[in-house]
Formats: sequence, structure tokens, C-alpha cells
Amino acid sequence: MNDTRTPKSPPDLIRRYAELLQGAVFAEDPLAAETALADAADLGRRLVANEIPLEEVGELHHEALVRLAHAHPDLPLGQIADLITAPLMEAHMAYSLAFREQLERRAEAIVNARLEQSRRLEAIGTLAAGIAHDFNNILGAILGFSELLGDELPAESEGHGYLNHIQQASFRAKDLIAGMLTFAREVEDDPIPIDAVPLVQETLKLLRVSLAADIRLDFAPAAREAWILAEPSQIQQIVMNLCINAADAVDAHRGRIQVDVRLIKPEDSLPMVRLTVEDDGEGMSEEVRERVFDPFFTTKAPGKGSGLGLSVVHGLVAKLRGRIVIASAPGRGTCFTIDLPQTQREGTPLSEPHSIRETPPKQRDTFE
Amino acid sequence: MIKVLIVDDDEIFRAMLLAMMRREGYEVSAVDNGREALQRVEQDPPDLVITDILMPEIDGIELIMELAKLDARIPIIAVSGGRRTISLEFNLESAKLLGVRATLPKPFTRESLRKAIAEALDQDQKDTP
Ligand SMILES: Nc1ncnc2c1ncn2[C@@H]1O[C@H](COP(=O)(O)OP(=O)(O)O)[C@@H](O)[C@H]1O
Ligand SMILES: [Mg+2]
Repeated sequence: MNDTRTPKSPPDLIRRYAELLQGAVFAEDPLAAETALADAADLGRRLVANEIPLEEVGELHHEALVRLAHAHPDLPLGQIADLITAPLMEAHMAYSLAFREQLERRAEAIVNARLEQSRRLEAIGTLAAGIAHDFNNILGAILGFSELLGDELPAESEGHGYLNHIQQASFRAKDLIAGMLTFAREVEDDPIPIDAVPLVQETLKLLRVSLAADIRLDFAPAAREAWILAEPSQIQQIVMNLCINAADAVDAHRGRIQVDVRLIKPEDSLPMVRLTVEDDGEGMSEEVRERVFDPFFTTKAPGKGSGLGLSVVHGLVAKLRGRIVIASAPGRGTCFTIDLPQTQREGTPLSEPHSIRETPPKQRDTFE
Repeated sequence: MIKVLIVDDDEIFRAMLLAMMRREGYEVSAVDNGREALQRVEQDPPDLVITDILMPEIDGIELIMELAKLDARIPIIAVSGGRRTISLEFNLESAKLLGVRATLPKPFTRESLRKAIAEALDQDQKDTP
């Protein structure tokens, strides 16, 4: 240990640590010994709360031991060392436990912040798209009626000039709306060739900390690498939304969520990357399944579900020229299968891009 | 006279398109949803359908698919002002894949409407009445 370095720990902590060790060393009955252990655990937690790093705990220990030896020069050091083993371990255990909890809380806070952010972006995009739709209708009416009105006015009249201005203003408003939509899209990164395997892995790691401890989230990808042309945030959002839904579906029981990434070569199309998210939760009825992609459709309690998760997934999959299939049975579980065009590592597509599909292929009732 | 059916759930836009098409000299009727449009087509088949994409109940995409099943291949112009979570371009692109003759993003000028109609109607019917 480096003796020239003075510990940054608050002096009162050092004093308490010394007192504690003293209490343990001179405990005269089992109760006093127990109390000393409890104090040690308490101290361990306080060390974490004060953000004192592990190596400084060692220094603290050294410092306290020196004080103890000074106060009791008659006591052999070996005996002191023996007696303080138990409280030391107690403090250490409490320290690691509290430290882990703190880590988990932090990870959870990060995940929540990210979720919050992606929800906000999702909301902005949805809002922009919704406004755009209504605005374009309104602008269409303004523009059209002003053209019709133009027919009623003499060609060289002042009124014609005014109508021109109305039309110009309408087109400016149209550009503004288009710009707003572009902005909503710009918050995403550029599409690049990405390997879905580590990306999904990374996303699940973040998710895992926010899931209830009794939910199993397994990822044993069949593919070693799976390259697709996408924006990393798009894949993250797809995985997040599907897994959050799966977690909600298994909520009550100790459920299991299985995620997989594999490569497939369908007969009717080019090589694809297949992402599946399967849960053994409550499943869906036919009626629910038919509507899951509708924006704002949710079966969840107000405040819990926004009803946007799957409509966003659907939009993203369509944008990536993929397809999505749901297999679900009430009481048995649900499996979302998403196929995305495979790309080469360098980003050259395997061939021409696919035709666009808006409607998902026929949905099935049962598991294969 | 060429009979045109307009399908759009937006009241003010529908009124505008109705007025504009009348002014262009067509025999025009308008409905505000896909279900009614299908009924109207059955009773009195038009020569041209101009349909919006985003509508409640039966939306434009479904309507286009239903119309494609009919023997009388009625020319269709799809118009769209965009849609929640899916872009306007995507809607019109989907409509094209389903075989509509022309597409128009909202808002549009009378000039582009005329062009779309010319594209949609067969060559020999191209001259406006
Ligand atoms: N894995 C699943 N198991 C059962 N039901 C699901 C699952 N995923 C989605 N759903 C159903 O689809 C609905 C819509 O999902 P979503 O668009 O993500 O909105 P939200 O989760 O906010 O409700 C959910 O409310 C739920 O009824
Ligand atoms: Mg959801």
C-alpha cells in the first residue's frame, strides 16, 4: 500500500471504522459481537453511498488498524487480526452488495432514459406525420379553391395577384411540413451495413437490467454474423419494442423470452436475416392480433401502453423492406418473426432490393 | 360525359376536388369512405376513381385491392397526404404496386391533376369532354 497517499475518505468514517473494529475486538458477549457485525455491514453500505472506491476501503482498513494498535499497545497484532476478520468480511460483503445494487440502479436509469428518449422521438415522428396528413388536406383545399376562384376573376385583376400570393404561401407551408417530416427522420443515423448479432446482444443487455428478475431472456443466435443495411437505432428500437411487449405478456408468471437471429434463404426471395422474439406469455386473441399494428391500439392500462410500439416496428420493417409475421395462441404465447434483406459485410446488397410490401404476409394461428 | 367517383374522408378537401372536377367538365359524385365507394361502384360503375389512401374502415389500399378484383378495370388515381408512421411516398408507392394508373401527393395544383387524369384514362378517352 502506498503510505504517502492520504485517504480521501471523510475522517469520521475512519473514526467509525476504528470504533467498530474496537467493538469487535473487545466484544464481551455474543450480542456485542452481533452488533459489531451489523455495524460493519452498515458501514459497508455507507462507504458505497459515499462513493468510496474499493482500494480506499483497504486504506481505511489499514488506517483504522494502526489507530487500534496505537490505542492498545499491549494487544498482540496477531490477535487483533484474528478478531477483526468477521466484521471485515461483513463490511466487505455489504459493500459489494450495495455496490451491485447501485450499478443495477444506474443501468436501469440509463435504460429508462433511453426508452424515454426513443418514446419521445417516436411521439415527435408520429405527431409530425399526423399533422402533415391534416395539413396537406387543408393546404390542398386552400390551393384548389384559390385556383377555382381565379377562374372567376378577370385575368388582369388585382384579385389574381392576391390569389398568387395565397398559392405561394400554401406551397411554402407544404415545404415546411415536408421539412418537419425530414427533421423527424433525421434524428436517426444513416443506414450502414451492420451485424445484427452483436447489436441485438447489446440491446438485450440493456433491456435485461430493466426486466423483472424472474423473467428469463435468452439469446443464443443461430447465426454467427448477420449483416443488414439499417440504422443501428432502428434495429434497437425493433428489438426493444418487441421484448418490452413480450415482457409485459409474461408479466404475471416466471416467463421466458427467447430471441434468435438466423440466416435464411426463402425460395421466393433473396437471402434474409430472420429475427424472432418468442414468449410464453398470455398470447393474443384473433381480434387483438388483427389490430396490433394500428397506431394507438393497446390493451394495456392507461399510462402503461402507448399503443405505438408495434406500429413503429411495422413502419421500420416496411422501411427496411422486410416482412413481419405473428404467430400467437391465447394462453400459449407469441412469436414475432421479422425477415430483413441480408447484405454483405461491405454493404453491397446481394442483388436488387425487394419490392415493397405494406401488408404483412398471411398470419398464422399456431406455432410451427 | 365521363363519370368520376371521388373517395376522401376529409370534408373540405373532398368539396374542393368535387368543385374542381365539375369545373373540368366531369360528371362527379363523392363519398367519404371505401365501403360506400364499393357500393356506389356496384350500382353505377364510374369511368375513373380518385381515392384518398388514409380513411377509416376500408382504407384506400383496401379499396384499390377490391376494385382490382372487378371485371371492369376501372382506372384509379391515388392521392395521399401522408399517414401516421408511414410516409406519403410509401403510400403512393404501395398504390402503384397495386396497379393504380397515377398518383398525386396532396396538396396538388390543377395542372398536375389534369396530367394525372390524362395518364389514368386510356389514350382514346384522353380528350376532356
Ligand atoms: N408479445 C405479445 N403478447 C401478447 N400481446 C401482445 C404482444 N405484443 C403486443 N401485444 C398486443 O399488442 C398491443 C399493441 O402493442 P404495442 O403497439 O406495442 O402497444 P402497447 O405495448 O403500448 O400496448 C398490446 O397492447 C398487446 O395487446
Ligand atoms: Mg408496446
